[in-house]
Amino acid sequence: MANLGFLFAGFVVVWVLLAGYMFSLSVRQKKLSREVERLKQQQSKK
Amino acid sequence: MDKTLSRWSLLLGTVTAIMMVWNLYNIFIFVPTEKSMGIVQRIFYFHVPSAWVAFLAFTLTFVYSILYLWKKNPWHDRLALCAAEIGLLFTTIVLLTGPIWARPVWNTWWSWDPRLTTTLILWFIYVAYMMLRNYTADEQRGARFAAVFAIVGFLDVPIVYFSIRWWRTIHPKPVIMGGEGSGLHPDMRYTLMFSAATFLLLMGFLLIQRLRLEKARVELNNLKCELAY
Repeated sequence: MANLGFLFAGFVVVWVLLAGYMFSLSVRQKKLSREVERLKQQQSKK
Repeated sequence: MDKTLSRWSLLLGTVTAIMMVWNLYNIFIFVPTEKSMGIVQRIFYFHVPSAWVAFLAFTLTFVYSILYLWKKNPWHDRLALCAAEIGLLFTTIVLLTGPIWARPVWNTWWSWDPRLTTTLILWFIYVAYMMLRNYTADEQRGARFAAVFAIVGFLDVPIVYFSIRWWRTIHPKPVIMGGEGSGLHPDMRYTLMFSAATFLLLMGFLLIQRLRLEKARVELNNLKCELAY
């Protein structure tokens, strides 16, 4: 069981990067959707 | 297009999640421990598929950059951009998991070895590509520059791949198609291939999500133009 810490660190890095990227995609998507909705409302008022 | 993307995204997301759980079972329970390196060698089952998937993503960027310069279809450029971003993510995984695996095995975090150095150069090339995309004011001009940059930058991908065959290196020799003396235990080979298939699906899932984002960005820009006139 030697080097278990390295194995753990390796897998933490993978999951943190993947989860972080998916989170960033979701935040960017929500931000854009909100902006699109706002502009659509603005357009319908015109 | 959005409905089709949503359907594919849901299907791919579900299949990828199931395969990832199975993959973790394979890596931590099913596969035998490698004799000389011990338990830390299991990083291999994430490290190698990440590298393969990154190569595939950069190949997509290369192909769609050529198509963009040829056909001038903006969706080719957008696909090239999305694939480059995902390739960069997986190259980052390779560059971080590699040293974590190397430290207990080589007794060093990093060595200026041909494979490691060319991979780091590859990472810098695509960071530069992303910066070029973000800092060029004229979008069409930026897309053209970026396409040429991606085509030239792709030259590093085969160099990274063949570096362990062309030069003397401390990096392990290829385990698939590596010639005489190379190869894997059948259980290890199965685990590696299963992990590669899982990462391939994950890449497809992320690519669809990233394309949806790009579609929303285009919609926003169109709305802004309509409101401006």
